This record gives sequence, structure tokens and C-alpha cells, in this order.
Amino acid sequence: MSFREKSAWIFLISISLVSVFFFLHVPWTLTPPPNMRLAEGLFYCILALVVIEVVGHIVIAIASPEDARTPKDEREKLIDLKATRAAYYVYVVGSLLAISTIHRGANIIFMSCAVLLAFVIGEVVKHALRIYYFRRGF
Amino acid sequence: MAKLPISNQIRRLRFEADEMTQQQLAKLVGVTRQTVNAIELGKYSPSLEVAFRIAHVFGMPLEEVFRYQADLKKE
Repeated sequence: MSFREKSAWIFLISISLVSVFFFLHVPWTLTPPPNMRLAEGLFYCILALVVIEVVGHIVIAIASPEDARTPKDEREKLIDLKATRAAYYVYVVGSLLAISTIHRGANIIFMSCAVLLAFVIGEVVKHALRIYYFRRGF
Repeated sequence: MAKLPISNQIRRLRFEADEMTQQQLAKLVGVTRQTVNAIELGKYSPSLEVAFRIAHVFGMPLEEVFRYQADLKKE
């Protein structure tokens, strides 16, 4: 497994775990009240995500320092571009769906959480696709 | 996945070049070992630059290393 593929796995697992933890604590009603604990929770989840990803990358870099130092080659760049393109469509559709909830009476807090969810799903799709392309060869 | 219309002789040429490993070839060309493997297996078509670099490593013209499927059908 290449360094970039291991990196994709770290991103996929960390964002999946942290976002499941966060979104389970979001009150999914259309008009949730302002809640500083939610904002604090988001902050700590982002912090946890950064720590997990940094530690994970340090570990895989120590395991294969030569691979870690090698810059991305053309195939890896193309895989990233293909995966990002697909994720973009997920972001756009998800964000539009989130915004459309305003017509159902959703408040800004619900919409923000829904847009964040769209972003997270897009990221999961991106890293899952990267892994798929790495496994398949291209 | 559709088979790419370009075949190559990289595996044979590596063997003939003192059993060069994929890693060694990758380092000489400036790509990863996984990319060399993907090229050999016909899963990935390299750019023109990388194709020329590979041919240069083996000291052979490009057409001796890579062949377009249409050429194979004529023979």
C-alpha cells in the first residue's frame, strides 16, 4: 500500500469516526435553539480530527520515510483530481438540499449543521474514491 | 474497467536490464512503484513525458517500449 493510500485511509477513518460522534449529538429538529455546547463540541471535534490525522500521518511517515518524502506523481495527482471532482458534486447537491430546508421552516442552526453534513459526506466520498482508484490502479 | 489500448514491454525490459525492480525503475523515472506497477498491468497510461523517461531508462525508442493496439492488429 502506498503512502498516499494509507493517508487516504487515515482521512477516511478519522473524518468518519469524528463526524459520526458529532452528528449524533446534534439535535436534528428544524428549529434547534442556539446552543453553545454544540459550538464547543464542533471545536473539540475539529481539534480531535486534526490530532488524529497528524498523529496518523506521523506514524505512517515513520514507517516509510522514503515514500513520505516522495512528492505526488502524475497518477496520484490525477486520482486526487478525479476524487475531488466527484466530491464537489456531492458538496453542491448537499448544500443546496440543506439550504432548501428553509422552505420547511428550518432555522440557521439546522441549516448550518446540514451544510456541514454535506461537506463531511463529500469528504468521505472523496477519500473513499481515492482509495478505490488506488486499489484499482487508476 | 476497459482495457487500455496501449500495451508495453516494461516487465520484459526490466528483467533484461539486470532484473531491475519496479522500485528501481520508479526512482529513475520519478514516479512511485505503484505507478510503475499500474503501467505494467495496463491499468494506467502514463503521460508522454513519463513514457519517454521510461524508454530513456532502457535506452530504447518509445515504440519499442509502448505499442498502440492498432499497431498490434496489423501484424
